[in-house]
Amino acid sequence: MKFERNDPKLTAYALGELPEAERTAFEKELETNPEARQAVEEIRKLAGKIKDHYAAEAQMVLTEEQHETIRQAARKNRKEKIIPFPRKPWIPIAVAASIGGILLMLSGSIVIFSTVEKREVAFCPPSPVFSRQKTDLQKPRVKMKKNAVAGSTQRIISRTQQSLPEIEVFGSAGIAQGFVAENVGSGVMLGDAEGLVANQWGPSIEDYAEIQENKFLRVADQPLSTFSIDVDTASYANVRRFLNEGRLPPKDAVRIEEMINYFDYNYAPPRGNVPFATHMELSRCPWNEEHKLVRIGLKGRVIEQAARPPLNLVFLLDVSGSMNQENKLPLVQRAMTMLAQQLDKRDHVAIVVYAGSSGLVLPPTSGANSRTIIAALKRLKAGGGTNGGQGIQLAYSTALENFNKDGVNRVILCTDGDFNIGVTQGGDLNRLIEEKAKSGIFLSVLGFGTGNTKDSTMEQLADRGNGNYAYIDTFNEARKVLVDQMSGTLVTIAKDVKIQVEFNPARVAGYRLIGYENRMLATEDFNDDKKDAGEIGAGHTVTALYEIIPAGQPVNNTPDIDDLKYQPTASDALAGNSGELLTVKLRYKEPDGDISAKLEFPLMDTARSFSETSPDFRFATAVAGFGMLLRDSDYKGTLTCEQVLEWAARSQGNDEFGYRREFIDLVRKAGTLLTPTPAQEPDVPVYEHIVYPGETIWDIARQYGCTEAEIIRLNKITDTRQIKQGTKLLVPIPE
Amino acid sequence: MDKETWITSLVRRYERPLCSYAFSLLRNLEWARDAVQDTFLRLCGQKPEKLKDREAPWLFRVCRNRSLDILRKENPVQSMSEPQEASIASEEKSPDEQAAQGDLSRLLPRFLSKLPKNQREVIRLKFQQNLSYREIAHCTQLSESNVGFLLHTGIKTLREQMINL
Repeated sequence: MKFERNDPKLTAYALGELPEAERTAFEKELETNPEARQAVEEIRKLAGKIKDHYAAEAQMVLTEEQHETIRQAARKNRKEKIIPFPRKPWIPIAVAASIGGILLMLSGSIVIFSTVEKREVAFCPPSPVFSRQKTDLQKPRVKMKKNAVAGSTQRIISRTQQSLPEIEVFGSAGIAQGFVAENVGSGVMLGDAEGLVANQWGPSIEDYAEIQENKFLRVADQPLSTFSIDVDTASYANVRRFLNEGRLPPKDAVRIEEMINYFDYNYAPPRGNVPFATHMELSRCPWNEEHKLVRIGLKGRVIEQAARPPLNLVFLLDVSGSMNQENKLPLVQRAMTMLAQQLDKRDHVAIVVYAGSSGLVLPPTSGANSRTIIAALKRLKAGGGTNGGQGIQLAYSTALENFNKDGVNRVILCTDGDFNIGVTQGGDLNRLIEEKAKSGIFLSVLGFGTGNTKDSTMEQLADRGNGNYAYIDTFNEARKVLVDQMSGTLVTIAKDVKIQVEFNPARVAGYRLIGYENRMLATEDFNDDKKDAGEIGAGHTVTALYEIIPAGQPVNNTPDIDDLKYQPTASDALAGNSGELLTVKLRYKEPDGDISAKLEFPLMDTARSFSETSPDFRFATAVAGFGMLLRDSDYKGTLTCEQVLEWAARSQGNDEFGYRREFIDLVRKAGTLLTPTPAQEPDVPVYEHIVYPGETIWDIARQYGCTEAEIIRLNKITDTRQIKQGTKLLVPIPE
Repeated sequence: MDKETWITSLVRRYERPLCSYAFSLLRNLEWARDAVQDTFLRLCGQKPEKLKDREAPWLFRVCRNRSLDILRKENPVQSMSEPQEASIASEEKSPDEQAAQGDLSRLLPRFLSKLPKNQREVIRLKFQQNLSYREIAHCTQLSESNVGFLLHTGIKTLREQMINL
């Protein structure tokens, strides 16, 4: 065969599309033809660039009405009976996750991977404990199927085609349980009906649920403030993405509680038998001298490392260009960091990366050196094409070198599935993996990213490698799969955690909860065990901030109403007053419990300046303040970016993973965007364009020879739907 | 998995890829959304067993057909086969292009937009959606070898442009 520039086989080969028969011949030809090899190399490189280009494209989604239309059509076509949908969007996730957690506790070394799209799940059972959990009537039911298993080391694939689950979770002593992951997926999916959509499908440029900022409430009218805890952190990542792209995020993309809870705070864990400790702190409010600021911090119990087998893990990470998206490599890094934190000296971790070429970036390292592991993870950057084959070889040989016959030996492959540029393709790769599986090394394949993920490849790999495959699209999912389920150390320690704060009218005239707008509960929900709320994992922290208007000051700039004639007045209350500002009441259930327990913690009123507070308090305040600036909050008072920057810079603490440092960088970036210097723009001549029907920014950019980004920047467009017929747009005119 | 779950998971999974695909064909967000909505509505009438393991090519194909319907209706003059930005292709290198020589990837969008529409489309399906030749063929109703040819030609043009810089 003569090499021919115009032979489509070149491209087909480079992209892994050449049928097996032709490939062998072609590879022979390549060996003798450096020019062709060069061309193949170039094509692969270019392919990586093209992928990067598409990966960076703006993401578009349907409107909420369109989703609703589809949901209705889907429902109409459904034959099964309708089951009630949850009212709160985060519940199904919590249910699935907490059940995952329970199973974990049940089964010690169990490794469960739930797949959303697929029906197979592998697990290794021993399961000595008995537990019974009833799912709440309001929740979508999650199906668990019991499989009796003889012996404890087999891999079991359970397959089910069952439809809508109507279920209880059950297990019994001595019987291993199969976990039918498909149906956990169902449980999660079903929740979509009410708004999980927005949560799970993630935010986009176009669609954000509007957030009505919490207002100041008068204690005389509403002495109780009730909300569910929230450990979601997606908003922060999204805000970060916008700022890194040089744009301000749309206001409604900024969910302040998720930003605050993105960070870990150094709260002491609880002593005794309670699942969490409460840490409150109080100071003058830094953006309103007249007000006070209260922090309520929860810290989940830290669970002792259970007796689990040692882990010999090799992370095989795809760092090709297509992984360069917020929900890919950065998510892999965070997920793996979290996993690494759970390991100890019994465990070993190595990291192999692959892109155009592959390499060992971390030799087998003891789990006791988590800093080293985490530092190696942090250094990873995405770029280049994908050559999965070599990476897999290297990962397996690394795992083999460090083989632990009493432990779990596993290669964890994280990729978006772009294996098609690999030299080792299709059958070869499968054979390789199959062979390696015999050595006792298992393969877990974790698929990252949405849409671009090549399920079939990844799944096949997992199947051949005696392994499992999970699809990860959010951090919670990553936590669930990697940490909760794999190491079995980070378990749910309490579920349905609700906070109710009672304010002392003798001390407080009004209050405002910063953020948590979507997590508010009715007063009576607090004691209602049927009302679900968020869950907290071992070692987790949750933080909420209240801005407080001390007694005697007007609330919302309106004068006080007259004291009521028949109600006890503030001064009456003061008579029997203990100097308490407020009392925090917490309700929670044990992970497998149905009945909640209550904890109460009073906070004494003190006068303290902001500078006297703990670094964690100041940092949380900085994050909240940053959120308020980005939202252009009505309540931001005298707050400036410079202040936020200063507070954050002075409260970095040891910042092991550099998260706080990154935050500071973001504030700097936002600072320039929030205060645009008017001198920047006028250099460019500008034309005012009136939008025609059906015309898009892209069309306009074409007409004037500028870019979409320039128009978006110049007109400060945050929502492309704003562009309608007749809209006046400024368009830069290139010379 | 019941049907609603099946649909919901496919919506969740393919909403964004389909939107960007439709948008690349239509260049109008509203139309693109309509096409994608229609695609999913049609999915609601399908049997899950029937589409098993070929959901993606099916969705892209329906989405493509819907997009072309919309395009014909809204914009009857333009046909799919001709390159849309022929005028741009003949341009000299702009100062911007010359200045950006050090950063080839910045020019990629420009070069991509100069390719004939059918080449651009298969390139997008291949590299954004990660479909195989066969799936692309199913979606665009071209033969597999034609898909291979279009991809090869498109990539070759891009490579040459990058080298010529």
